[in-house]
Amino acid sequence: MPPDSSSQFQPAIQDTPRSRRLQLLGILSGFAAGAWLGAAEAPTKLVSIGISPMVISLIMVIGVFLARWSLPALILGTSSVRADVRRAPHLVIWALLAGCLWAVANTLTIYAIRDIGLSIAFPLWNSNSLLGILWGFLFFNELRQVGWRRRAGVLGGALVMCTGATLLAVASSGHGPAAHSLRGVWAALGAGILWGTMYIPYRKAYLTGMNPLSFVTFFSFGELGMMSILSVSSLGFAPLWQALLTTRSVIFWLMLGGFVWVIGDIFQQYAAKYVGISRGIPLSNSNQLWGLLWGILVFGELHGRSSSIYLEVIGGSLLMMLGVGAIAFSSATSQEQTRWKEAAIRESDRYGVAADFVEARMDGRQLLGEEEPSRSALDWLLVIAATSVFVIFGAMARVPQMSLHWGPAALLTAVLFLFLIICGLALWRTTRFN
Amino acid sequence: MEHNQKTNMARNWMGSVLSDIHFWVPVAVLMGGLLLLRFIR
Repeated sequence: MPPDSSSQFQPAIQDTPRSRRLQLLGILSGFAAGAWLGAAEAPTKLVSIGISPMVISLIMVIGVFLARWSLPALILGTSSVRADVRRAPHLVIWALLAGCLWAVANTLTIYAIRDIGLSIAFPLWNSNSLLGILWGFLFFNELRQVGWRRRAGVLGGALVMCTGATLLAVASSGHGPAAHSLRGVWAALGAGILWGTMYIPYRKAYLTGMNPLSFVTFFSFGELGMMSILSVSSLGFAPLWQALLTTRSVIFWLMLGGFVWVIGDIFQQYAAKYVGISRGIPLSNSNQLWGLLWGILVFGELHGRSSSIYLEVIGGSLLMMLGVGAIAFSSATSQEQTRWKEAAIRESDRYGVAADFVEARMDGRQLLGEEEPSRSALDWLLVIAATSVFVIFGAMARVPQMSLHWGPAALLTAVLFLFLIICGLALWRTTRFN
Repeated sequence: MEHNQKTNMARNWMGSVLSDIHFWVPVAVLMGGLLLLRFIR
C-alpha cells in the first residue's frame, strides 16, 4: 500500500517570483525546442534520394539512441538516472511506451508523405497539439481555473498555428503529392494522434518528479526497439543489413540529424515539465517555421517561385508567430498551478512516490539532503563511445555535391547555439537541470 | 526477506500502472497505430 502523501503536500501555490521564473523557463525551452527540432531536418536534406524511408528512420533513431545516453551522462551522470528510477520505477514503463508511440508515428509520417505529400501531411499530423491540449485538460488539470482569456489564448494560438502550418506546408511543397489517397490521410492523422498521445507519459513523468534527462534515456529503448522490429519486419534482416552497408557514406548525416533532434527534444521535455503539454507542444511545433527557414535560406528551396508562394510563406510564418506569441503570453496562473499540484498529489499517492520529492522536483530543485549528481567512469565511457561512433561514421561520410548558402547556414547555426547557451544557462541557474 | 520485499514492491507498482486508466489510453492508441501501419503496408 503506497504511503499517503497528500497530507504532507501543500497544494496551494502562491504567484511567487520562483513560479513565474519557472513559467518563463518553460516558454524559453519551448522556443529553443522549436529551433533545434526544426534544424534537425537540415542534415537529412544532405542525403540524396534513393534510400528506403525505413532505413533513413532507423539510422536517425540510432543517432537519437546514442545522443540520449551520452548527453544525460555528460550533463548529470547516470547515477542521477539510477536514483530517479529507484524513486519512481513505474516511469520506466511509461517511457518505453512513449518511445514505441514515437517510432510508430514517425513511420506513419513516412507513408503519409509518400501518399499525399508533405503539404497535406504536415498540417494533419501537426494537429497533435490540439490533442495534447485535450489530454492536458482531461487528465492533468491543465487550463483549469485560468479564465477565458488565457484558455482562448492557448486554444486560439494552437489553431492559428495549425492554419499557419498549412499555409507554410502548401508553399514549401515543391510539386503536387505523389498520389492522392485516403490511406495517406489516415497515416498522417494516425501520426498526429500517436504523437499527441505520447505526451500523456511525458506529463505523467514530470508530475511524479522524474528528471527529463532520465526519462529520455528509457524512452530511447522503446524507440529503438520498436523501430528495429518495424524495419526488420518490413524489409527482412539481410536486405536491411545490405541497405545499411550501402548507405554507410551518409549514415553520419542521418545520425547527426538524430543528434540535433535530441537536443530539441530535451528542451521540449523541459517545456512540457514547466508549462505543461497544452502550452509546451504548440510552442515546440514552431519547428516547422525553422525547418522552412533552413530550406529557403540555406538549401535555396522556393528559388524562382511565384510571388504568391512567397506571400503564402510570409502569411503562414506571421500566423505561426502570432500563435506562438498568444500561447507564450497565456502562461499558467497560480490557480492553474495549484490544480497541477492536485494532479501531482494524485500521482504520488497512486504510485507511492515521496511527496516532498515530487514537490521539490516540480519546483525545479533538489530535495534537501539529496545526493548531488556526479559523473563516474561509466559516464565518461558512454560519452567517449558515442563520440567514437560519430567520429568513425564522420570519417566514412561523403560531403554531398550540392549548392549550399554558407552565410545563412552560419547565421542559423549561430542562432541555434545562442538558444542552446541562453536556455541551457537559464535551466542550469534555475534548476540545475532538475 | 529483502528479495521478497523487492518482489512485492515491483508487483505493487506494476499493479498500480495496470490499474491506471491513463495507461490504457496510450496503449490503445499504440495498438491502433500498429493496426493502421499494417493496413497501410
